[in-house]
Amino acid sequence: MGSTCSKIHFSFFKLSVDFLSVSRNLKWGPDPHVENACLSVGCNSVEKKIYVHLNYTFPCVRLLNATHQIGCQSSLSGNVGVLHELESEENLDWVLTSGPNPPYMVILESRLFTRSIMMKLKEGSGRVAGVVVVAPNTNPPEGFSPHTACPNDNSGRSKNYDPTLAHCNATVWNPLGNGLAYEEFDFPIFSVKDDNDTRVIRQCYQDHNRRVNGSNPQFPLCAMQLRSSMSAVTNTATCKRRNDINFSLTPDRVCDELGDFNIWASSRPMNTTTKGHKEFESVVIAAARMDSRSFFFDIAPGAESTASGIVTLLAAAHALRRATQEAPPNRTILYTFFQGETFDYIGSSRMVYDMENNQFPLDLDNIHSVLEVGLHSDSKLWLHSDPVSRKNSSVKEEVEKLVNGLKSASAGLNVSVDEPDVSQPLPPSSFQRFLLARPIPGVVIGNYRSSFTNRYYESMYDNAEYLNVSYPENMTSEEQLEHFPETVKTLTEVATLVARALYVQAGGNETQLANITADPQIVNQMLYSFLVRANNSWLQQLVPTDFTNHLADRPTNFYVGVIQYFSEPTTLVQYMLANMTGSVVNVTQEDCQKKIPNILYTYMWVQGAAPPNSTEREGFCVRSTVHRSIAVSPAFELHEYTTSNYSTWTESVWKPITGRIFLVASHDLEMLTLGVGITVLLTSLVLTYVISSKADILFSSGREPTSATY
Amino acid sequence: MNLERLPNEEKLGLCRKYYLIGFAFLPFLWLVNVVWFFQEAFIKPAYSEQLQIKSYVKRSALGLLVWVTVLTTWITIFQRFRAEWGEVGDYISFTIPLGTP
Repeated sequence: MGSTCSKIHFSFFKLSVDFLSVSRNLKWGPDPHVENACLSVGCNSVEKKIYVHLNYTFPCVRLLNATHQIGCQSSLSGNVGVLHELESEENLDWVLTSGPNPPYMVILESRLFTRSIMMKLKEGSGRVAGVVVVAPNTNPPEGFSPHTACPNDNSGRSKNYDPTLAHCNATVWNPLGNGLAYEEFDFPIFSVKDDNDTRVIRQCYQDHNRRVNGSNPQFPLCAMQLRSSMSAVTNTATCKRRNDINFSLTPDRVCDELGDFNIWASSRPMNTTTKGHKEFESVVIAAARMDSRSFFFDIAPGAESTASGIVTLLAAAHALRRATQEAPPNRTILYTFFQGETFDYIGSSRMVYDMENNQFPLDLDNIHSVLEVGLHSDSKLWLHSDPVSRKNSSVKEEVEKLVNGLKSASAGLNVSVDEPDVSQPLPPSSFQRFLLARPIPGVVIGNYRSSFTNRYYESMYDNAEYLNVSYPENMTSEEQLEHFPETVKTLTEVATLVARALYVQAGGNETQLANITADPQIVNQMLYSFLVRANNSWLQQLVPTDFTNHLADRPTNFYVGVIQYFSEPTTLVQYMLANMTGSVVNVTQEDCQKKIPNILYTYMWVQGAAPPNSTEREGFCVRSTVHRSIAVSPAFELHEYTTSNYSTWTESVWKPITGRIFLVASHDLEMLTLGVGITVLLTSLVLTYVISSKADILFSSGREPTSATY
Repeated sequence: MNLERLPNEEKLGLCRKYYLIGFAFLPFLWLVNVVWFFQEAFIKPAYSEQLQIKSYVKRSALGLLVWVTVLTTWITIFQRFRAEWGEVGDYISFTIPLGTP
């Protein structure tokens, strides 16, 4: 057996790459564990011979709100269990009752990552040490959504709908939603990519833990340790209180609020230093959301649920740039991108709160109407409106005008728009938070009639593959930026539709409409930046030099994250929007940077492109009306952590998140080793005592004392 | 310090001192007193100061017992109910364990 072990260990050793590559992706708690220091300088080889570290793991983490906690947690030192690969749901019996070596670390194929299996594992958690979900390389055809069936039900319009409309009683928006992402598990759940790591895990399992001919597997067995130890517990009120207690010896933070920034820009410059109501100002809000999530931390591709809305609205803003400058409509168009909407509308509720409390350059009276771009990626669009506020005749009239504007704008475009049943409730959207404040006319655009057509809503599969944004294998990044997938054409059409409708809604002259057309090139570049990689030659030109390092070579992570960290999409949207709506002014870099802040405009120096025969980039100054406004729930401003009016989501702080596999000996062998050790210790103690008590006889042989020989 | 070498009066003085200082919320001093003077009080052959030493040792032991009872009861109650007390429990805690209610 010994030789097998060392062979396995040797092959593991080769595959264990620098552990720190994991740590870069993850946020550490404020208390880095000593293990890190040990690993960064390279531990002794015994550690390496025993353990194989998993490099690309995505944990599920703990989130808390006013009433409860969700997500996963391991014990402080990590949960250890014998690996068991689940083959089918019937196979669960081995894990939950019959297997002889509990607790088990269960490996699940993604097709088995279902509510029914996870709930059984949760209930049998005494025998379950943790779960590893192997993420597939292709999306599951049957669909998967770990979100709830009725997203953001408690924070939206349901509050003042009557029972027939409230709580998805009229229509279930996300029928595939199994609510797994809102369950609490007291064991760690990690996702691993189907690559080298998974092969090592599977090999170890095959070699040691598989039952051969019905007999139980023999020791040593392959085991795994997963550590995702969370500091926060119970609910937001508890963890915020513990954050504030500074009496203890180690005043650690235990949780942080979710939140970031909303991004907005106006089609006409607006004085941002005076807050509250603006006389003679009437704005049309064009909204989209900027965040998404999945079951696992750090994977939130949000392709259809988020990226398509952002791209469409940015492309529409770009299409409107010339028309709004040359023939400005009566009303101002306000492009707004809300952050944290997945978690009970953090961004929109804060903007509404700021407007109500004169903390925003506009107030609710300045809002003429709202047009929100929701989930979409195909040419069949549905225009959703709110049945309750439509009972107000003036609102009804404005909504109908907006709907008709959209319908007539679709003429000549390759998109069809339609209205669902007018008594149908409003789908989950940022607009709901405006309606909670007062009846405002507005429409939400989506590609669904009464339930999402997206089969992967808020999951790790809502990705580029789902939107058919794929490029031939051997293309370089440059060629990919020039290659238009089919989705790009659709989104361009939708962007044109949105732009024209916004222009009409703002009171613009219809003769201008023919000049308002979205640019497929821009749509493609933006889509590519969000869904494939942000670090591309196009986006590099549009950002300041010091931001270049932050452009990632992977799809954007749309998870909002805690307020201390910038969320990826926020900054990308900010730079894109500045370049889409702003204009280049001819000033030096120094002057450009001096002009910040300004009451009307923001200035930013971006690095630009390098001319053909040079490596030096030629930067330029972009003047725009792009602003950031804080997107932190009003609950934290008001210190009301148990409120049901606002989002109260917080994310726990955690110790380093690690995963490793190793071989364990049988319990008997461990006990034998311990017993032998204790016996040796006791024997030596007795021996020493005997020898020392009989020292006279043993060591004095009648000779002179030894000192005399010195 | 070796008790054997002290004259009996000084032993008594020492025992009394430990007993009295113990009242300054120092139960461990009583514990030391009990352990240290146990032999003097109960095992050594009788001498004139022994009776007083005996009484100080007994009283120290009694005080110690009261402390042990009170602390054990409180610690048991505190550990059992800290989570249920919620806010109050957090405010009277010196260190709050991470990741547990």
